[in-house]
Amino acid sequence: MAKKKRFGVSQALTRGLTETINVVENNAGIFRNTVLPLSRIELDPENPRKLAIDLLDIRQGIQATDPWVSQKQEELERLKELAATIASTGVINPIVVYKRGDIYRVVAGERRCLASVLAGKQEIDARVFNEKPKGFDLKLVQWVENTARDDLSLDERLDNIRDLIKEYCVQYGDVPITATLLKDITSLSLPQATYYLTVLNAPDDVKTLIKDGTLRSLDKAALIASITAPAVRQEAITACIEGYSLKQLRSIVTKNKILTTKKVIVPNVKRRGRTSTRVNMGYTANPKVVKQLIDAVLLQERYKKYVATFNSVNWDYLDQATKAFRQLIDILELEQVG
Amino acid sequence: MKVIAFLNNKGGVGKTTCSRLMAEYLSKVKRIPTLGIDFDPQCNFSHQYLSMEIDPAAPEGLMPPLHPDYNPHDPDDADWDGRSSIAEIFYGQGVIPYPTYVENLDFAPGHAERLLAAEAVRKSEVVDKVHRQLTGFLSSPDVCEAYQAVVIDTAPSKGPLTVSVMKAATHIVIPSVMEEQPVQGIYGMLQLWMQESLTREKSNPLTLIGILPNMFKQTRLHKDILKSLQDNAAIGKYILPIKLCQRIVFAEIDAEEATPRSIFDFPDHHVARCEALEVCEHLAERILNHG
Repeated sequence: MAKKKRFGVSQALTRGLTETINVVENNAGIFRNTVLPLSRIELDPENPRKLAIDLLDIRQGIQATDPWVSQKQEELERLKELAATIASTGVINPIVVYKRGDIYRVVAGERRCLASVLAGKQEIDARVFNEKPKGFDLKLVQWVENTARDDLSLDERLDNIRDLIKEYCVQYGDVPITATLLKDITSLSLPQATYYLTVLNAPDDVKTLIKDGTLRSLDKAALIASITAPAVRQEAITACIEGYSLKQLRSIVTKNKILTTKKVIVPNVKRRGRTSTRVNMGYTANPKVVKQLIDAVLLQERYKKYVATFNSVNWDYLDQATKAFRQLIDILELEQVG
Repeated sequence: MKVIAFLNNKGGVGKTTCSRLMAEYLSKVKRIPTLGIDFDPQCNFSHQYLSMEIDPAAPEGLMPPLHPDYNPHDPDDADWDGRSSIAEIFYGQGVIPYPTYVENLDFAPGHAERLLAAEAVRKSEVVDKVHRQLTGFLSSPDVCEAYQAVVIDTAPSKGPLTVSVMKAATHIVIPSVMEEQPVQGIYGMLQLWMQESLTREKSNPLTLIGILPNMFKQTRLHKDILKSLQDNAAIGKYILPIKLCQRIVFAEIDAEEATPRSIFDFPDHHVARCEALEVCEHLAERILNHG
């Protein structure tokens, strides 16, 4: 007997229906998309971007007596480009705001607001949160918006991440921030998250250089911050200021590592084959073994200063454990074991 | 005031029948002052309650009859042609609902040509000229004072008229035949529901009461499609647990000479009346008692 024919809604349609319902269920009532008068919008003074120019400067012109006049003029020039596109096509992405009394405070989209006013617009497309986003969510939105921008300095990006971590701890408790956790909450890649954490824990000399804009590249800053020996670090900083590439900086670190490592003379027992020049440290499939070794070393008084170096390691990853182990060897060699 | 709209951009799925049943249930059975609105240029819903006339200016279209309150000799009516349709809202004029043969039910009929003109408004002007007008009309003090419920029949489209209804409604129901094309119509309406929901304040949601299986036949096609929708975790909870079956009586009562004219005047045990009552009770319970 022939099989009875079965009917059903097509897969594509089922998927479309499901997705649409989910969007409404997950988002309705949390925010709404609308058009707002620009006159009811204010910028967020706590947003980590450090634009000197504000709405008043756009509306009334920059005062000649303003202490920031030259910076504001520069920013105004950069805003004019955006204003020109907004004048012709409007803003492509709505700004994000939340209601604060009878005005709306910008969570993300400062430049779009400023440029829209500059373009002579009266209104702007906005996504309005019905409630003030919680500290962490607010910082996260600002972070997500800011990562899409390329004119943010390393210092501003670090401020962003620092605030984000601070708010995360306020909201979810004082948990240790590992690179993996940072990667999960920011969608950064793991290496990038590791770099950020390293730079956040950088020695003061590195931090000062980032603040004054001398160090602008994240990977170079991370490499320099990870150099524990002050003299080597200084050499790397000087090289970096002179415009050395990342590869060249790495070679400085490697060269110094070789120089600073004291050769320990081990009695060479005569045996067949090639002479051994180094100790093979073996291998393990269990990264926790490495953690145990490192923990044991760090317990000793003289190594306690290196604890922070290993804070960001995720012990579930073999490559991170391997890297940590190499760092341990570097430290032990530097501190001249034996 | 509850504003209930029946929507599906596929035609022939029973939007008008459902609108009619709901309007009559609320006004006649529940005794709630109700306003019926016909937002479909085809004006079939209007034809149930008023003797719509052929528009000499647009022979294919219908227009409302002269209003019973119209008096050509009254100086107050000097500037009025005696006809009033819901389409007046797009022309900045007042709407004067018509009384109907159903107790507690007033009616704002459609006007084919004028509704079609609103549907064809240019994109740049559509928000001000069409989308916001029905909301404005339904929030006017006169309407809010006169009616506790509004039932709107819509055009089989996703155009400005339907968007206007979405913006004005508090509750929506999507009737659908359990076949592929009408289910595609559900998707179109869910898209509009999504767009509208994301513009609303938390205190003013657009509630999707659900998808109402309509003109249901005990065939494998209808049963299988209904089951596949019910079995889906996301969609299933929006498939209403009641349905209207395919019955010739729903078409028969459309005729002007039909007696009785309302399904709710049929004998208590009549199968179509029982079914309509069950569906309307369920919808009314959700609309009136749960926000």
